[in-house]
Amino acid sequence: MSMTLPFSPVARNAESDALEEITKLGRDIADSLDTETLRENANLNGDSFSGKMSKFGSEYAKWYARLHILPREVEAAIRGNTVYVHDLDHYAVGTTNCIFIPFDKLLAEGFSTGNGDLRTPRTIMTAMALVAIIFQCQQNAQYGGVSANKIDHDLAPYVGRSFIKHFRKGLSYFESFKEGRESLTDAAAPEGPADEDIYMDNTELRDLYPHAYRYAYQETRQETFQAAESLVHNLNTMSSRGGGQIPFTSINYGTCTSSEGRLVMESLMESTMRGLGQGQTPIFPIQIFKCKKGINQAMGEPNYDLFLKAIECSTKRLYPNFANLDAPINMEYYVPGDPNTEFATMGCRTRVVADRFGRNHLSGKGNLSFNTINLVKLGIENGVALGKRKWADEEGFYEMLDEALNIAMQGLLHRYRIQAKQPAKASDFMMREGVWEGGDALGPDDKVEDLLKHGSLSIGFIGIAESMKAMYGKHHAEDEDVYAKALAAVRHMRAYCDAMSEKHNLNITLFATPAEGLSGKFTKNDAKEYGCIPGVTDREYYTNSFHVPVYFQTPAARKISLEAPFHEVCNAGAISYIELDGNVRSNPEAFRKIVTYALDQNVSYFSINHPIDRCTSCGHEGIIGESCPSCGKKETEVHISRLRRVTGYLTGDYQTRFNGAKQAEVRDRVKHAGQAAPKV
Amino acid sequence: MNICGYYPESINEGEGLRASVFLSGCKHYCKGCFSAKTWNFDYGELFDGKRQREIIREMAENPLLDGLTLAGGDPFFSAAEASSFIDLARESIPELNVWMYTGYTFEQLAARPESDEYGLLRRGHVLVDGRFEQDLRDVSLLYRGSANQRLIRIPESLERGEVVLWEREKAFM
Repeated sequence: MSMTLPFSPVARNAESDALEEITKLGRDIADSLDTETLRENANLNGDSFSGKMSKFGSEYAKWYARLHILPREVEAAIRGNTVYVHDLDHYAVGTTNCIFIPFDKLLAEGFSTGNGDLRTPRTIMTAMALVAIIFQCQQNAQYGGVSANKIDHDLAPYVGRSFIKHFRKGLSYFESFKEGRESLTDAAAPEGPADEDIYMDNTELRDLYPHAYRYAYQETRQETFQAAESLVHNLNTMSSRGGGQIPFTSINYGTCTSSEGRLVMESLMESTMRGLGQGQTPIFPIQIFKCKKGINQAMGEPNYDLFLKAIECSTKRLYPNFANLDAPINMEYYVPGDPNTEFATMGCRTRVVADRFGRNHLSGKGNLSFNTINLVKLGIENGVALGKRKWADEEGFYEMLDEALNIAMQGLLHRYRIQAKQPAKASDFMMREGVWEGGDALGPDDKVEDLLKHGSLSIGFIGIAESMKAMYGKHHAEDEDVYAKALAAVRHMRAYCDAMSEKHNLNITLFATPAEGLSGKFTKNDAKEYGCIPGVTDREYYTNSFHVPVYFQTPAARKISLEAPFHEVCNAGAISYIELDGNVRSNPEAFRKIVTYALDQNVSYFSINHPIDRCTSCGHEGIIGESCPSCGKKETEVHISRLRRVTGYLTGDYQTRFNGAKQAEVRDRVKHAGQAAPKV
Repeated sequence: MNICGYYPESINEGEGLRASVFLSGCKHYCKGCFSAKTWNFDYGELFDGKRQREIIREMAENPLLDGLTLAGGDPFFSAAEASSFIDLARESIPELNVWMYTGYTFEQLAARPESDEYGLLRRGHVLVDGRFEQDLRDVSLLYRGSANQRLIRIPESLERGEVVLWEREKAFM
């Protein structure tokens, strides 16, 4: 492999330098000197004691991995700002990234947290409480997010169990008196129907036992609402990973058409709209509504009302996002009637469906790790941006791209070998309870390799926009030819991933990286090296994956149709956003129309960003400028909480929890609908 | 005629995603108006044929638009020109749905069928009418600022000779 990438020399630090470096890191954390490091992850309070403790651990682990574990080429590429290894702090110990949890199995069979055994729940109230516990246990076994890919189907049976319980009670209260029975023993033990005949959609049951049915129906509804409300509260209040983080939870739903499953969804969305405490927007779980024609996309389809409720909920709370089951890429392994084959996401965008070893479904596996390529640097080196050449050197670009791909791949494989040789007991709950499919068959000291191979290894990318700008002087939304070149570059990366899947007999996929901590790091280093290049390094961040830059003015429909073709290529996941300004909760029709348009364009995963400001004095929500339009208090007098989304996750208050680059990106976002306008 | 604002896609001035054009000039002088500078007929940029055609082309090319909203200022102080603009737009977008904001009441505008104001009125689908009354200000109102203002279905109201209020279709109620 010839080295043409502009790497800094691989000079491993001398011992004293290393000591100095690690000492500085410690001081920065303990004394809160480096807010960028502390805020790297918007979900972690880096100013707190436990946040700092976890930073100590993670910063040392990264330092150790770079110095002693990483292959030299990979370490050099990190240093050279070409490749980024995500969650480096978990590299040396072999932790894996994220997972879809088989809630159906865990709830049906019961499970053990390690400290206590739990039976299968008899009611929806208990089932939803256990969902929170499962999320929390699993979160500690990995470094990324935890997701339920079909929570409506998973929980419907427990709504059913609650219904049976309430129905039997109703039977003994009301129905036994009907036939003139008077003896107490008769009343206490009415015969009644068999369990399998007691379910909400049984109209015969409803007609035969109207009182008991009505009682059971209402009790079950009430219980499910309460259960959903406490689940949403639990997922925003419990901590994991040494108390420093709230689990990165996502729940997908939309296709279950039984009354029980529909009630689960209705309850979750109602609770989300009601909000936490005094009505705050819940940050977790990320919710994803699975859109499927024939089920919930048009008037007359069984769950269309829930799709509209999802729209309403999203106008108020930014969730749910929308997953497109009808996009060709998501139809490939879809088996009608098997919800486990329905496309769902890890919330942030991660997509794990296909498996070359046959597990072409979602539950019980996840992504193992991913490395991201800085496309902008390759663009700067080979483009017209520096004024060194008149025409872009495309051959040079692709040569460097292949080299970066090879290094990213080398890093993935090296890490995979560390992950694969871990004993089952290292991931604890995940293997012992069979959260990862088949894990429960392993002994504590068995290696996990044979199971991990079903997961995915992904290569991600950032900054197509700035890369094209550096290459050709225009980005992909400014010029049709440049657009074609951008798409070709991404297809090239996908073809590489496909070829590597064959070569290494692993699931290698292409990822539109969610670039939380990364969006500023690459840019800062490139700006230091190349100076301020207009449209390339002049902002504090690079544009996410293949997105049209947030600062570029273009109609919503055009942004969607420009980004849509990239979704098909990024088989490890992608998301498109539209920014709306204004009080969208009062105009859900505009919102629905944009969502439907995005789905029709085969966008795989979609969401709309809009500002939700909240006056902490009177509780008014909407858009708040310098003063609250409801109570009139000024921002200088009361705190106005401003909720925004970053890499797919909401964060409570973007000015205090976002890092600098992300704050800048939020400031620059062009809205696709105008500011509040004068009303005559 | 000048315009003091144009949003190619707005969600704030009427149902769905709409192009909003703000025509300069207003003589209602409502107390508390938060864009008093748009009372001036010379404020903003010239809304000549070239600019009109540009905006119409953008509207025609946008598959997501539900229609056009004319606000201001008050478009009814430039009624004849605003009507011509709507007619020009309907040459390329025949079914163009139009909402209009005014400080007049529907009754005032509907009273004189021979006037330019009436001509503009009958070209629209929904009228948001009435002065902004500071004492009746309510931020929770849909698409309007004070409680005296109404959302009115223009064709039905003209036909029946009485105000028929606009209501959102059932889906999201």
